[in-house]
Amino acid sequence: MIRKNTLAILLLASLAFLKPALAAPVEQPETVCIQCHGTLPDRLGAPVKLWRSSIHADNGISCNGCHGGDPKDAANAMTPQRGFLGAPKEKDIPGFCGRCHPGVYKDYLSSAHGRALGAGGPTCVTCHGNHQVVKASLALINEKSCTRCHSFDRARAIRDAMQQTEGYIDDISRRIADFQVSGVDTEKMGKSLFSVRNRFHTLFHDVDVARVKGESAAINKELGKLDAALKEIEQSHQKRRVAGGIAVGFMVLLALLFHLMKKSYD
Amino acid sequence: MENEGRRKFLGVCVAGATAAAAVAAGYPVFRYLAPRSGQGGAAKLVIPVGELKEGDAKFFEFAGSSAVLIKTQSGELVALSAVCTHLGCIVQWVKEKQQFLCPCHGGQFSTDGTVLGGPPPRPLAKIPLTVTEGNITIG
Repeated sequence: MIRKNTLAILLLASLAFLKPALAAPVEQPETVCIQCHGTLPDRLGAPVKLWRSSIHADNGISCNGCHGGDPKDAANAMTPQRGFLGAPKEKDIPGFCGRCHPGVYKDYLSSAHGRALGAGGPTCVTCHGNHQVVKASLALINEKSCTRCHSFDRARAIRDAMQQTEGYIDDISRRIADFQVSGVDTEKMGKSLFSVRNRFHTLFHDVDVARVKGESAAINKELGKLDAALKEIEQSHQKRRVAGGIAVGFMVLLALLFHLMKKSYD
Repeated sequence: MENEGRRKFLGVCVAGATAAAAVAAGYPVFRYLAPRSGQGGAAKLVIPVGELKEGDAKFFEFAGSSAVLIKTQSGELVALSAVCTHLGCIVQWVKEKQQFLCPCHGGQFSTDGTVLGGPPPRPLAKIPLTVTEGNITIG
């Protein structure tokens, strides 16, 4: 009985240590917006279904994060007095998203896309969607999407210029995720990568091939630093594996010596 | 007699192996407790006072990370980490507002690093500085 309890305590303790590494996406209590609109049909309920698989939902950004209002008071949730903004008009969409994404907003406004705002040009949701916004990747730059408005030639040139660096970012991201699962403190590296990735993806909004190529060199240098830090951890783990193997061999040798010594007393 | 010689030899082997095992087990503990070499602080950085006007900011690399030195409009010098405490992006100096803005998610910080708005959970970390003979020494 005591042994079983001890085992249970040890198991729980080890799970407690695992918790930070395997932390689930941010979970917050459902807002009144979700509670109500989640049960509504068609146009009024559809945004909730889309939002549930978005990067915003993964990070605890609920309806009120963008649309304002009071997420705790169902009766007054959608009143202007509680800061409810509703859905923006098309020309106001970039400013709406730009409240939380000011860097991208600035680059967008100075780009050909931004300059065509209000004159048929694309807004954020044209490429990223609205409620089902997912983590940005180069997959967003594709022929089907871009040719809705213009030829794919220039977009292809930009995507090709970004491809190699994107691959480098993905590789580093995967390695950091692997280390995180195995319990390595990756917070600083994760934040550095987020910063670099953000800088890199922002480049596209400028729609300038020369700038993409020029900035990619500086970004690759930053990624090189992360790569070196990860290699150092990988080498350290490799050394530990070798040391572990030697330690096990050593223990076997020690056990054998003890066994032989014991036999000499028989 | 033969057993005694064997026992003595095995005893020496076991003692040696045990001592080696003790050293091998103790070394990681020593490594963990001993301060790492080169961790005594980053190299100090010297910036001439004249390089910065009131209300301006100067970004630089410090201890392998981005940092910023500002001279407030009242003439006070402040050195801060330029890494946003939300997700690690590098903050930008908005001279007109005399505050920092994170381009990623709109975090705002005052000239002393205090969070003014947005998602950052903590203020920007302060970096110590001293001013002597017209030079600002950071770190």
